[in-house]
Amino acid sequence: MTLDLIKGNIAIAQAAFDAGCNSYFAYPITPQSEIGEYLGAIMPKANRVYVCAESEIASINMCIGSAATGGTPMTSSSSCAISLMQEGLSYACAQELPIVVASVMRAGPGLGNIYPSQADYNQAVKGGGNGDYNIIVLAPGNVQECIDYTHRAFYLAKKYRNPVFILSDGLIGQMMEPAEFTKYPYEDIDNSDWILSGAKGREPRIIRSLSETGEMHHERVKKLFQKYKTIEENEVLYKEYFTDDADIIVVSFGSLSRNVKGAVKKCREQGIKVGAFRPVTLYPFPSKKLYELSKTAKKFIVAEMNMGQMINDVKVAVKGADVDFIGRSAGDWLDIDEIVDCVKESAGGIYANI
Amino acid sequence: MQIYKIPESLRKDTNFTFCAGCGHGVAIRSLCECIDELNLREKALAMVGVGCSAFLYHFLNIDSLECPHGRATAEAAGAKRVNPDKFVFTYQGDGDFAAIGLTESFYAGIRGENITTICINNNNYGMTGGQMGPTTLIGQVTTTTPYGRSAELNGYPLKIAEHIAMLEGTAFSARVSLDSVPNIIKAKEAIKKACEVQVKKLGFGFVEILSSCPTNWRMTPYEANEHIREKVVKEFPLGIFKNILEK
Amino acid sequence: MEKNIIIAGFGGQGVLLCGKILAKIFMLNNKKVTWYPCYGSEMRGGAVNCEIVVSDEEVTSVHKKQTDILLTLNEISFKKLSPNVKKDGIIIANSSMIKNTSLNKAIRLIKAPISDMALSLGNIKTTNIIALGVLSKLFDNIDFSGISNIIKDLFPKEKSMLANLNIEAFMLGCKFKPEAI
Repeated sequence: MTLDLIKGNIAIAQAAFDAGCNSYFAYPITPQSEIGEYLGAIMPKANRVYVCAESEIASINMCIGSAATGGTPMTSSSSCAISLMQEGLSYACAQELPIVVASVMRAGPGLGNIYPSQADYNQAVKGGGNGDYNIIVLAPGNVQECIDYTHRAFYLAKKYRNPVFILSDGLIGQMMEPAEFTKYPYEDIDNSDWILSGAKGREPRIIRSLSETGEMHHERVKKLFQKYKTIEENEVLYKEYFTDDADIIVVSFGSLSRNVKGAVKKCREQGIKVGAFRPVTLYPFPSKKLYELSKTAKKFIVAEMNMGQMINDVKVAVKGADVDFIGRSAGDWLDIDEIVDCVKESAGGIYANI
Repeated sequence: MQIYKIPESLRKDTNFTFCAGCGHGVAIRSLCECIDELNLREKALAMVGVGCSAFLYHFLNIDSLECPHGRATAEAAGAKRVNPDKFVFTYQGDGDFAAIGLTESFYAGIRGENITTICINNNNYGMTGGQMGPTTLIGQVTTTTPYGRSAELNGYPLKIAEHIAMLEGTAFSARVSLDSVPNIIKAKEAIKKACEVQVKKLGFGFVEILSSCPTNWRMTPYEANEHIREKVVKEFPLGIFKNILEK
Repeated sequence: MEKNIIIAGFGGQGVLLCGKILAKIFMLNNKKVTWYPCYGSEMRGGAVNCEIVVSDEEVTSVHKKQTDILLTLNEISFKKLSPNVKKDGIIIANSSMIKNTSLNKAIRLIKAPISDMALSLGNIKTTNIIALGVLSKLFDNIDFSGISNIIKDLFPKEKSMLANLNIEAFMLGCKFKPEAI
């Protein structure tokens, strides 16, 4: 194993290149500009497409043009600029196009702040585009996962012909950590039966989202949701840490889950039976597993660097179990001790002697 | 002797569904003839805008992508960059190209994207029922300017082809009209050049086509063509504004 | 046990690079490590810092409220960051630049005239690497021998003179003997 000290943003960029991304379209924004800068250096040299788009509206639509005609596109951006892509993402979902989007969250709403945040959980998972659709969302928690899940994002995008988000944040994006660019077992997926490649010796193909009648449209969306069901059945990923005997389970995603792990360790040293649960796929959400855990755990605490977004999915999943929340919209990440204090407060109702 | 036939690039199993007197049918047929004559059909990719132009993919014997409103040139850029050997064109209305998509459209010219764009200028938003658009004439009555377009309230009509011609990356930009047979012949010549500049990898090829919209103009097809000759060409003069083929 | 080190100074003093080299040394010693910079508006002049967390297990929080070791190269960051240093923490202060080293609690303070040492080498840009040499003496169990190669990799071949100068700078920092306290 050859580890190198790698920045989260660079990890995504190089992994995208390794995964076969042949076209990158983006507009710069802090804290993810390194992705574009890095690819700007390596893509042209490898004869791959790199366009500095005039806006995020353009970059997502360039991705659509690339994906529809057989390309393997990626764009990357952050928060207020991902907002500009919502129209394109809705079309890409409707037209079933494989597009990878790296979303490196900063604070919002509005221009917000360039510092890290997790306030775009809803933006990624629920989406801001129109209509019934889902985007697969992978949330890495360290630099190695930025590499692993970028590869996986390209694989899933092609496998399901659906946009996939890598939901990172300014903290993982800017930090460095030993990690390794490795080979992945994902098979190549043949797209020759649907891409627009020129109507030579066959009927012309149309990639569209417009339906002639309401009934036809319902059939189209129903088909989409059959696909989502398959995704929900097969692609859920999560990580557990001391959940087996836990009375309290702290649920967090992405980089904050590191601090939660630290807090769990500290609580365990003090005799509190705490565990950590981390959804890796935010869509499909690991609802089944959380429900299972709700049968043994007495309480859940959701920790997020936002004012409470994933908590809604946790609440739905655990069907009435106790759910507390700790969060902050931006600024310093919730400190280990803050989380420990929150756990202790929650534990008050469970342990008489705390 | 030349025998009339349906271009290979048009489907043979459908008929145009445009209103009587609408210019779209002639424009599409001319475009398809050019694609046939340049032998581009089998490698052509159509990027279709939103509006009446969106019907295009029903009629084409060509692979087509339906693009969000205004974004066709961005999608064409993405498609062409990853498929430099394909023939990529957009077909858009003036509302699509020059209002909601103005940024994407201009950048096709600014970056000199090797694509071809046909933009139908009919002085209004036709599909949604005849509202004011970027090319609506001063004084023109539309459903959103019932007292006529006033410059004070709504600004001025946009001269698209002239602006596109000013961009460094534009290889060809022209405005043509479909009001008469001689003009239709000229229109086809311009479309062909806008296609050729792409084949020769010279940059952005653009044709703005003045096209009548009798339904929304509340005119007969004959009156509509008269209207183009008398009023519309005064605001939107015909001509080739840039042609690097002849440099 | 996780330990965090903050390296701070002016933009241009090379604190981010200093931190990256330290993180790489930890990595070569098979430690788990993270490097996290302050970023954004501070990048454009003014104070810069980065935080390195080193551990035997996967690092939890990469940005901590309290600091184990603080290396400061200028007065502003000393003032701003020294209050967060733990009671049993250590501060290394570049005494060439930091005149006021008063602290509100008793913390081990190592004063080293790092900028002056750099000037003595004839290149003020070696400040960060000398500082790293001084800092290295705080880690008994860490093998710093990999540093020569790390530094050599930083410079293109035609600038190997600068690589050698920086290796010399590191040695100079290592030789620094703090006053006994």
